Amino acid sequence: MVTKVMQIILSPVLALIVGVFFLGLARKIIARIHWRYGPPLVQPVIDMIRLFYQKSVSHGRMFDLGIILSLAGSIVVVLFLPFGKMCPLSSSGGLLVILYIMLLAPLGMALSGGEGANPNISIGISRKLILSLGYEVPLLLVLLAVMTHYKTISIMEVVNVQQSTSWSIISFPLFLSGLSYFLILPAILGIRPFDVSSAPQEISSGPMAEYGGKYLALATIEHAFVLFISIALFVNLFLGGAANPVIFFVKMLVVFVLGLCINAVFPRFRIEQAIKYLWKWPTLLAFLGLIITMAIRS
Amino acid sequence: MSLEILLITAFGGALLTYLAGKVSYKGRDFLAVVISLVLVVFVACLYGKAPEKTFYSVFFGIPFILRLNMLSWFFAIAISSLGALCTIFSLSYMKGRERTNFYYLTMLVVNAAMLGIILAGDLVSFYIFWEIMSWSTFLLISYNKGPALAAGMKYIIMSIVGSLAMLVGMLSLYTTYGTLNISEISAVIASASSGYILFILIIFGIAFGIKNAVMPLHTWLPDSYAEAPSPFTAVLSGMLTRMGVYGFLLLMYVIVGLHNVITPRLLSYHYILAWLGAITIVIPTFIAMLQNDAKKLLAWHGIGQGGYMILGIAFGTSLGVAGGIFHTLNHAIYIALLFMSVGAVQYRTGGERDLNSLGGLIKKMPIAFIGGLLGIAGLMGVPLTNGFVSKWLIYKTLILQRSPFLAFAALIGTWGTILSVYKFLHNMFLGQLPEKYENVKPAPFSMQLPIIILSAAILLFGILPGIVLKVINAIETSFGFESLNVTLWGITSESGTLNTINIFFAVLIVGIIVWTVFRLGAKSVSVRQDDSYAAGAHIPKDKYHYTSEFYNPLYRMIKPFLRDVIDEFYYWIASSVQRLSGSVRRVYAGDVGYYVMYIILFLAFLIFVQLKWKLW
Repeated sequence: MVTKVMQIILSPVLALIVGVFFLGLARKIIARIHWRYGPPLVQPVIDMIRLFYQKSVSHGRMFDLGIILSLAGSIVVVLFLPFGKMCPLSSSGGLLVILYIMLLAPLGMALSGGEGANPNISIGISRKLILSLGYEVPLLLVLLAVMTHYKTISIMEVVNVQQSTSWSIISFPLFLSGLSYFLILPAILGIRPFDVSSAPQEISSGPMAEYGGKYLALATIEHAFVLFISIALFVNLFLGGAANPVIFFVKMLVVFVLGLCINAVFPRFRIEQAIKYLWKWPTLLAFLGLIITMAIRS
Repeated sequence: MSLEILLITAFGGALLTYLAGKVSYKGRDFLAVVISLVLVVFVACLYGKAPEKTFYSVFFGIPFILRLNMLSWFFAIAISSLGALCTIFSLSYMKGRERTNFYYLTMLVVNAAMLGIILAGDLVSFYIFWEIMSWSTFLLISYNKGPALAAGMKYIIMSIVGSLAMLVGMLSLYTTYGTLNISEISAVIASASSGYILFILIIFGIAFGIKNAVMPLHTWLPDSYAEAPSPFTAVLSGMLTRMGVYGFLLLMYVIVGLHNVITPRLLSYHYILAWLGAITIVIPTFIAMLQNDAKKLLAWHGIGQGGYMILGIAFGTSLGVAGGIFHTLNHAIYIALLFMSVGAVQYRTGGERDLNSLGGLIKKMPIAFIGGLLGIAGLMGVPLTNGFVSKWLIYKTLILQRSPFLAFAALIGTWGTILSVYKFLHNMFLGQLPEKYENVKPAPFSMQLPIIILSAAILLFGILPGIVLKVINAIETSFGFESLNVTLWGITSESGTLNTINIFFAVLIVGIIVWTVFRLGAKSVSVRQDDSYAAGAHIPKDKYHYTSEFYNPLYRMIKPFLRDVIDEFYYWIASSVQRLSGSVRRVYAGDVGYYVMYIILFLAFLIFVQLKWKLW
C-alpha cells in the first residue's frame, strides 16, 4: 500500500523532471545543429518560475478550466504508463484507457483556446485537430498490431512478455509497426517538421496565442508531459520497457535524441503535406505490420 | 400491476392529454408530464418481475401476447424516462406554437407505441405497435411543414419498405410454423435448415436495419432528425431509432438464438453485419465533419453511433453484446442531451441552428453549455463518461476476437468524432459572441432540468457503470451467454480489467492539485472577448466567424470520398419510378373512347392467341 502511494506520487514527479530535461536538451541540441551556443539546460525551469509570477489575462471560466483539464489529463496518463517496473495504476483498463485519456490534453487545450476568441488560436486548433487525426491513423494501426500480437490490452503484460523474450522492435512483424511509430513520433510531439499548430512565426504560437504568465507555464509543463508520454509509450511497447527507471530513462534519451537530430534539419510542413506524409509511408508500414501480425496469429 | 394497464395508461393518457388541451393548455401540459412520469414509476415498479398475459382471438384468432422480461424492462425504463424528460423539455419549447395539442398527442402515442413494441410477446402485436410508431413518427417529423414534409415522406417510404420486409418474414414464419408467438418460434426454429434461418435473419434484418439506419439503409435519418422539433428529435434519436437495436437483439438472440447466429455455416451473417456496422461508423462520422447545421451534424453521429451498437451485438460474445446494449442506453442519454442543448439555443436565438452564425453563448447559457460539453464527452467516449465504458467493451471484444480492422474502424470513428463535435461545441458556445446575441437569456427551468438530469446520468454511469451492467448481465444470461464478472465500477477479466473508480480518483486528485497550483500563480485579469492579441493587427469585431470552414485543409482532401452515393442512388430509383409512372399515366387518357379501344384490342389479342395456339 505504502509503496503504491509512493509510486503514485513519484512517477508524475519523475516524468516531469524527465520531460523538462528533454525540453532544455532539445533547445540545446537544436542550437548546436544550427551552430549556435544555445540557452543553458535549466532554461525551461527558469522560464516557468518567472512565468508563474507574471501577470496574465483570462477570457473566462472555460479558458481557465481547459488548461487545468489539459495538464491534469496528461499527468493521469503517466499514472497508467509503466516507468521501469513502476506502474501505479496498471490494472485499470490497459492501453485503451491510455489512448483515451491522452485525448484529454488536446481537448482541454482546444476548449480553453476556444474561449480565447482569437483567429490565430482557431487556426492553431484546427491544425492541431487535423494533425492528430493524421497521426492517429497509423498510431491506432500500430497499437492494434501490438495488442493483437500479444493478445492483451494490458500494457504491463506487453512489457513483461518482451522482457522474457525479445524486444518487439527486433521481432519480425512488429518491427514494421515500430518503425511506423518512430516515423510519426515528431508529429505526436508536435516538433519540427510537424510544428504546424504552434508555428510561432506564422500564427503566434496558435492555441497559446492568448496565454501569458501561469497559463504559459502550465502549457509548457503540459508539453513536457506529452514529450515524456509519447516516448515512454514507444519504449514500453517496442524497446521492452526496462527493469528499473534508470535504464528506462537511457532508452528514452536515445529515442529522443535520435528523433530530434533527424527532424531538426527539416523545414516545417504545411498541414496538407503533413497529412499526406502521415497517411502514406507510416500508414502503409503500420498496415502491413497489422496484416502480417494477423496472418501469423491466426 | 399488469402490462395491459401500463399500455392503456400510455395510450389512454395520450388521448386524455389531447382532450384536455381542448379545455386548457395549462391543464394539458400538467397532464402530459404527470402521465409520462406515472409511466416511469409504473415501469420501475415492474423491475425483476416477468408477467405474461395472453388475449385470445383479437386478430384472426391469433393470440395477442404481452410479456415482460429483463431485456424489455431495460428498454422500457429507458423509453419511459427519456419520454418524460423530453415531455418536460417540450413545455417551454412548444409554448405558443400552433397545433400543440396534436404535438403532445403524437409524442405520447409514439412513447406508448414503443412500450407496446417491447412488451409484445408475439409478432402480430409487435408489428401493429411498430406501425403505430412509424406513422406517428412520420406525423411528428413533418410537424414543421416546408422541408420537414419532404423529410417525413422520405422517412415513411423507407419505413414502409422495412415494414413490408417484416411482413413477408412474418407470413413465412406463420405458414411454416403456424404460430407467431415469439417463444414458440424460438423453440422450434432450431430444427430449421440454415438457408431458412438465413432468410429470416436477412428479411427481418432489412426492417431493423432501416429503423436503426445501418448503412446502406440510412438515408432517411439526417433530414428527419434535422427537421423534427428538437424535443422530439431527442426521442427519435435516443430511443425510437434504437428500436432497430431491440429488433436485432430480439431477432438474433431470442428468436433465432445465439447458437444459430454464430455458427459459421450461416454464411457468417454476424460477420457481415459487423462489417456493415463498421462502415456505418466510419463514413457517417466523417460526413458529420462537413456539416454546418447543428442538428444535421448530430444526426450523422446518430447514424455512426448506431454502427457501434451493431458492431457490439453482431459478434455474439458476452462482452460485445453487453457493450452494444449498454451503448444503446448511453447513446440515448448523450444524444438526447445534445439535442436538448441545441434546442435550448434554438429557443433563445429564434430557431438558429446554423453553426456559422452562432458563437460565444457560454457566458449567456452556461447550463446549456455544460450539457453540450458532457454530451460531446459522452459521444466521444472520454473516460468517466458513460460512452467510454460501452465503447471500451466493444473495442476489447474486437481486439480479443482478432478483428483488429473492425477495431480500427471503431477507433478511427472516435477520432473523427472529436473533430466534428469540437466544431459543434465551439461554434455554438465558444469563440466570439455576435452582437445580436448580446441580450440572450439562459434557457427556462423546464429546459434546464432535463439537461441537468441527463448530464448527471452521463457522469453517474461513467463512474459507476456497474449499476447498468448488472441489469445487462441478467439480460445476457437470459440469452444464454456466460455471465460477466461485473463490479460496481467496472469489469474484471483475465485479459484486461476496467476500473473506473481508479480513473475517477486519479483525475479528481490530480485535477485538484493542478487547480491549486494554478491558483497559487499570479492572478489573471479578466478581459473582454475582443481584447485579444493579433500580432499588432486589429481584429475586426463581428466581421467574420473564425471557425466557418474550420477543417478546410482536410475538407479538400477527403470531400471527394464522402458523397452520399447511396442517397443519390435511392433518389435515382425514385425519379425513375416517377418517370415510369408518368408514362404509364398517359395510357389513362380520360376519354371513354380510348378505354373502349383498349378493351377491344385486348379481346382481339385474346382471340388471336386462341386461334393461333388453342390454349383454352
